[in-house]
Amino acid sequence: MGSEAAKSNHLSEYWDCLSSLEEKSKELITNPPEPEMQLDFTIEAKDYIKTGRASSEIKLFLKKLGVNPEILRRVAVASYEAEINVTAHSNGGTVLAYIYQDYILIIFEDTGPGIEDIERAMIPGFSTADELAREMGFGAGLGLPNIKKNSDLLYIRSGVGSNTYLAIMILFEDKQDV
Amino acid sequence: MSEEKKETKEFFHAVELDRDKCVGCTKCVRVCPTEAIRVREGKAVIDSTRCIDCSQCVKVCPVNALYIKSDPLSDIYKFKYRLAVISTSYESQFSEEIGYEKALKALLHLGFDEIAEQAMITNVTADIIRDYIRSHPQIRPVLSSNCPAIVRLVQVRFPSLVKNLLHIESPMSMLAKYYRDKIAREQGLKEDEIGIFLIVPSSSQITAVHQPEGTYKHLHDGAIAISEIYSQVMDIQKKLCDDDTEISSFANGLSWAISGMEAEEVAADDIETLAVSGIHNVIDILSNIESHRLDQYDYIELKNCQLGCVGGELNVENPFVAASRIKKIVKKTKRKEIDNDYFFRLYKEGYFDVEQLEPRSIMELDKDIRSALAKMKKVKEIEKMLPGLDCGVCGSPTCRALAEDIVQGRSKLDDCLVRLRRMKKKSEVK
Repeated sequence: MGSEAAKSNHLSEYWDCLSSLEEKSKELITNPPEPEMQLDFTIEAKDYIKTGRASSEIKLFLKKLGVNPEILRRVAVASYEAEINVTAHSNGGTVLAYIYQDYILIIFEDTGPGIEDIERAMIPGFSTADELAREMGFGAGLGLPNIKKNSDLLYIRSGVGSNTYLAIMILFEDKQDV
Repeated sequence: MSEEKKETKEFFHAVELDRDKCVGCTKCVRVCPTEAIRVREGKAVIDSTRCIDCSQCVKVCPVNALYIKSDPLSDIYKFKYRLAVISTSYESQFSEEIGYEKALKALLHLGFDEIAEQAMITNVTADIIRDYIRSHPQIRPVLSSNCPAIVRLVQVRFPSLVKNLLHIESPMSMLAKYYRDKIAREQGLKEDEIGIFLIVPSSSQITAVHQPEGTYKHLHDGAIAISEIYSQVMDIQKKLCDDDTEISSFANGLSWAISGMEAEEVAADDIETLAVSGIHNVIDILSNIESHRLDQYDYIELKNCQLGCVGGELNVENPFVAASRIKKIVKKTKRKEIDNDYFFRLYKEGYFDVEQLEPRSIMELDKDIRSALAKMKKVKEIEKMLPGLDCGVCGSPTCRALAEDIVQGRSKLDDCLVRLRRMKKKSEVK
């Protein structure tokens, strides 16, 4: 696994991916090819009742495709955690799921207020969740680490006062890190 | 060849359809949790590979076209020695005046030679489950497997969770296995002279007796619905006033007929448990488990019927009344158990082991992911043309299911009457 954080103006970027994907990773995220299919959803801020709907729909879709059940569970975990993050921490946002023949790319984009320090947010146990989120059983500080653990490529771009853009890619075939 | 065999495997189902009675109302189509039913040419058709015998359809059928086929009581007379293995919900079907012991004695008068109660071994079953949980730390949560409808639900809709199912015989099957050997030994009888019948509150248990999942050996000879023998038991009970023979009973275990009691007994300082009942609640929970959202639980008790086995559709009594009776009986009766150590030892020796259960996935549109994607694209296109009312009039459960049926060549776009009517109106306006 290789990861790097780069700073440009007030925006920070975070990359983490399988080494086999390193060369292609930037291209895959910044200029994704035309997907076979696309699903899109909106996420309301602080709506803890409806949150999880997008990840459920994505999971159901992959079941219909016959994606390997273990891969499916990884997609479910990563997309749910990301969805919860948007619900708990942002002012609301959108989810775009691009489905290809051999992988899925899911992009979460919110409308702020942004992550101050992505590197710190990646540390297990670190959390800025408010009281409501904690009362609902969220905010254990495992969201981003869990997303990282379950995805083959993770890209985050954020900064104080700006939107957070989070992209997850998961291969349908289990490819070991070489 | 073997591949072909697998494809055409026939499934036994206790839930059956009387085509002559069916009026094609589509109520069953809409409640089925595995989308196993369609109405075609005015009659319901059940997909045998998808049906899990949960009996949701039986409950909503307004004309009793869907019914549950119990084995007849007369089957027991084919055997020289007959054992009844009774579910924990059996005793709660009879009022307090009749009482627990008379309900058991009535079975002897019906022709059974011996009775084994699931309630006898609930304590040791809890010990066994705890041991299983502790010796399988890599599997969390462990899911209860004593409700056959749930086992089949997991196999068809949640294939990734099949490995989480408790891979041990269910309590009633444990008893059947144990008693078959015991009776053969003590009575000097041959295997085929012993008839073992389960007295059950639900259709999926009948299915499981005829087509068990994972069992190594023939365990039961039939399953008889509680409702099937209820009136005969009531008749006999009137005559039982003078019968004062002693009979063993194990009241404390009856509580397992109520959802949550199993989870409560299995729980320990190191074992967190959760109990869920009712098929749609179970589906929600399984979906959360699949997404690793309930990993904090070590054991989850899952029951097809609301409230647990007292809610079984083959019971006669109202589930809430039955549950309150059980609580009363348990309070009144002293604790009594069979030789738990012996049973536990048998478990440790692997006597109750089952084969690895296999998923039976019905979800994918095609074996090949590329073809499935191509089909999914068509499904989405067709879905856009449909009204999204999920009215079921076409005979498929939802608009999405109709779109899938069309893509799979099982339905036509014109099966949607709402769309046809709207198109007609539009052309009239023009």
